[in-house]
Amino acid sequence: MLLVENLHKSFVAATPRPVLRNVSLAARPGDYVAIVGESGSGKSTLLNLIAGLDTPDAGRIVLEGQDLAALDDASRTRLRRARMGFVFQAFHLLPHLTVECNVALPLALNGISGPAARERIDELLTAVGLSDRRDDSPTRLSGGEMQRVAVARALVHRPGLVLADEPTGNLDAESAAEILELLRAQLKRDNAIGILVTHSTIAAATTDCTYRLTASGLAAIAAGSA
Amino acid sequence: MIPRTAAQVLLQAGVFGPLRHAPGRTLLAIAAIALGVALGFAIYLINRVAADEVAVAARSLFGLADLAVEGMGAGFDEGLYPTIARLPGVKVASPVVQVEAKLVGRRGALTVLGMDVFRSRQLQPAFAAADSGAAAPEQPVAGEPIFLSASAARSLQLQPGDTLHLQVGLQPLDFIVAGVLPAAVLEDRAGVIDIATAQWRFDRLGKLSRLNLKLASGASPVQVRQRLSEILPEGVQVTTPDAAASDASRLSRAYRSNLTALALVALFTGGFFVYSTQSLATLRRRREFALLHALGVTRRQQLLLTLLGGAIVGIAGALIGIVAGLALAQLGISAVGADLGAGYFRGAAPTLELHFAEAAAFCLLGAAVAVLGTLQPAIEAARIPTAAALKAGDVASGEIHGHGVLVAVVLLLAFAVLWLPPAAGLPLPGYVSIGLLIIGTVIAMPTVLRALLDRAPAFQAVPWEMAVAHLRGTARHATLSVSAIVVSFSLMVAMAIMVTSFRHSLDAWTQRLLPADLYLRAGYVGQSSHFDPATVERLRSIDGVAKLQVSRFGEVSVANGRSTLTLIARELDPAHAGDTLWLEQSTNAAVPAGAVPVWISQAAADELDLRAGATFTFTLAGRSVNAFVDGVWRDYEHARGVIVMEWQTYVAFTGDQATNSVWLWLAPGASESAVQQQIRELLPAGTEYDMRTPRELRRLSLQAFDRTFAVTYVLELIAVVIGLFGIAAGTSAQVLARRREFGVLRHIGLTRAQIAATLAIEGAGLGALGVITGLAAGALVSLILIHVVNRQSFHWSMDVAVPVIALAVLSLALVISAALIAVISGRQAMRGDAVAAVKEDW
Repeated sequence: MLLVENLHKSFVAATPRPVLRNVSLAARPGDYVAIVGESGSGKSTLLNLIAGLDTPDAGRIVLEGQDLAALDDASRTRLRRARMGFVFQAFHLLPHLTVECNVALPLALNGISGPAARERIDELLTAVGLSDRRDDSPTRLSGGEMQRVAVARALVHRPGLVLADEPTGNLDAESAAEILELLRAQLKRDNAIGILVTHSTIAAATTDCTYRLTASGLAAIAAGSA
Repeated sequence: MIPRTAAQVLLQAGVFGPLRHAPGRTLLAIAAIALGVALGFAIYLINRVAADEVAVAARSLFGLADLAVEGMGAGFDEGLYPTIARLPGVKVASPVVQVEAKLVGRRGALTVLGMDVFRSRQLQPAFAAADSGAAAPEQPVAGEPIFLSASAARSLQLQPGDTLHLQVGLQPLDFIVAGVLPAAVLEDRAGVIDIATAQWRFDRLGKLSRLNLKLASGASPVQVRQRLSEILPEGVQVTTPDAAASDASRLSRAYRSNLTALALVALFTGGFFVYSTQSLATLRRRREFALLHALGVTRRQQLLLTLLGGAIVGIAGALIGIVAGLALAQLGISAVGADLGAGYFRGAAPTLELHFAEAAAFCLLGAAVAVLGTLQPAIEAARIPTAAALKAGDVASGEIHGHGVLVAVVLLLAFAVLWLPPAAGLPLPGYVSIGLLIIGTVIAMPTVLRALLDRAPAFQAVPWEMAVAHLRGTARHATLSVSAIVVSFSLMVAMAIMVTSFRHSLDAWTQRLLPADLYLRAGYVGQSSHFDPATVERLRSIDGVAKLQVSRFGEVSVANGRSTLTLIARELDPAHAGDTLWLEQSTNAAVPAGAVPVWISQAAADELDLRAGATFTFTLAGRSVNAFVDGVWRDYEHARGVIVMEWQTYVAFTGDQATNSVWLWLAPGASESAVQQQIRELLPAGTEYDMRTPRELRRLSLQAFDRTFAVTYVLELIAVVIGLFGIAAGTSAQVLARRREFGVLRHIGLTRAQIAATLAIEGAGLGALGVITGLAAGALVSLILIHVVNRQSFHWSMDVAVPVIALAVLSLALVISAALIAVISGRQAMRGDAVAAVKEDW
């Protein structure tokens, strides 16, 4: 369960610039929601706050019963390691690791190894269609392939919450559709909460529910394709 | 194959992967540390084994003795021997006459020990075996027998039956080599003769130099020393073999420490090279660090991962450095011996022994330097704001932080530590100050770069405008690339100024202290050769000699035997001592009644903590001399402190009228060569003496100086090469990262030549930044070297002289090298396909 209550966030500059006001959101396991909004509306900031990479000025975020504000950086990092997965617009694969090692990274960080780890990695690589590229360097992959690896990495440790920030922003339409379908299928299979930040109405349409982020807060605008 | 543990995957992602990703830079960083460790370890080893040999040799003169009674200079009356031998607690007393016998036909002197065979066997049992096993000459020959130590036989290339030619006064004295002692018996370069022969042949009748004492079982050394102190006359002191060995190696300690510190400059530069490469890697890998943090790697884990990368580089470099240093030391000892130029260990032929603890210490030092070089980048890596870095990558590379307060604090600290006293006789506060000054300079570099870029002139040339814009946009990269070269160049500038100042001061000193037209020297401190008064009078009467002065060298004991100083008795006018000596301090105060005026060297002033106008006492020929310090003079010649006194006063105290040096002024119009010829005819044929003109002495002293500092030039050059590694690594990293930019530029019409010109301007700009900051920091460091480090190490002052032309040439060479390195590093990127470069995602 993810609970976001009355979040406020301003960026400190010459004069503080409010980015988020009164943002609230609740999601249960298996929920897949999209957040849309104009550039600069604070979509990525909201995602960073939910991930514990930034701290709100007011309000609170509770993930699976844990209030992020009550945790220090190391504890938030451990929570993120165990219970969250990320998919970025720019893929962000580690160039020094093979495809397989990139996918294995969250499992290793969570102390999961042996046959169980191997089985899960095989399962994800097969699901994203890259089981024959496991020993390749990420630099040899196309953009779509890199994002498929990123999706596998985000889901491999069965997180309760997957955060995707413009995951199809750098992809062509065909690859984007593949990634969105893959992401949705895996989220549903693992009964995880998915939050998709996007500009794309097509991408938003693949989720269960779409919210628009505005200066006054978060508002539900449409049900998705659930 | 998937990693099994988090540690494995983290090591792969955060340590080994990045090290493999840029193998060139990783290898350069390892090479920089290896070179620094190798140089430091090799110089340390060579100096250590040489000093060990000196100490062991000094110790071996005492055999199994527990204590020794010593008299300075001419020694003490042998009547003391039976008194001491009968003292409670003394089991064996072995008398020794020790003479530095001038060698004929060779440079230098041989230590000759006159010993009582029966007594000395009880302290050095191996003498018995040597004596019985010595090969007797096959045929009777003229001359007294002498047993040579193995090292003396080796260096003099003599064997049993050969004749050894020595000189007493101006008279030749021949000895027959009766045998060669095993190396274990006597390590020093020495010969052993019968004590009666020594007293007779070397004008020491009734005198002893030393009594080696073996204490009775259970006797307390403290009590025996107490009993001895009650009966010993002035100028005779009790010492221990260990103290003598320590004193022997103490003379070269400052030289050894400073040379090792200089060799470690390369390691210091290597540390900054690691700092610059790790900092550049941190900037380049901001997104990776951010991603790892997002995926659950804690900041502490990130810090440790980056430090581990530095430690791996350091340990690899240090291990290679230890092996290379050992090989370098072995090579150095085989090629040039243990003396690295200053003459402290000339003739020493030590065997290289490796002590594990020393190798481990240098290994740790290399690793520690690399880890320290990584510390700041590691802290920065652990503090990268995750969300911003994931979105914007390396946006921070253009930011410049002035760190004004930090720079001020570091520089203030650098100034403050200069007021601390030397630590254990070594100028450690001076070195700490230099380190802080260099670190402060590196921290201040962004501010310097900003000031330079703000003042960069505008030219209507695309390469110039692009280069300036790029340096502005990548200011942090730029200052990091150049930090290693700033370190090495500033230290090279400092050394150049210090060495030039020293050379100029030495040259001026030589000319000031050598006012005569011709110099004759028969022997040096403690040596057996000298001129007698009759010979001096005959020299005075030579045609063409207008004036003649003499001087005598000796040793005196000061402060109840705690210090041994060199004594020079000279003919000089006390009212105008500054005409003869380079006075640093003088006093107008009158000489107190009962005191004699003396002029002490800066080393003596420091050792005895005396200033002009002070009084002190020293023992000369068994008599106490109440001395008044009329002046403190600058001395570049003697390793020990020196007391200069008037010749007439010396003769009055000692009755000794022999002289070591004669100074001759020629009459107007007299022929120098004619006077020299007359001197040669006057002095007995076959005797050893030096006859030099001031020109020759000046040339010889400068040659000796250049030989001493030759090794320092090499060490500095290596440090600068390591610094250039930094520019090469930084530029190549930048160029690789800019392949896409170059591709775009090629698309919009820039030629390869224009891109090359841009890179050359950027490289030259970085070089100029290094030169400007290096010159400024180097000038300050040179002042610390001149006024603090040298003063505390060698106790001499010098006047500052700047080698303007040499520094200008060096600066220009550095700027050109940096420009060339930038262009060469960019060739790979410029050769690449422009279309492919623009398409690249990585």
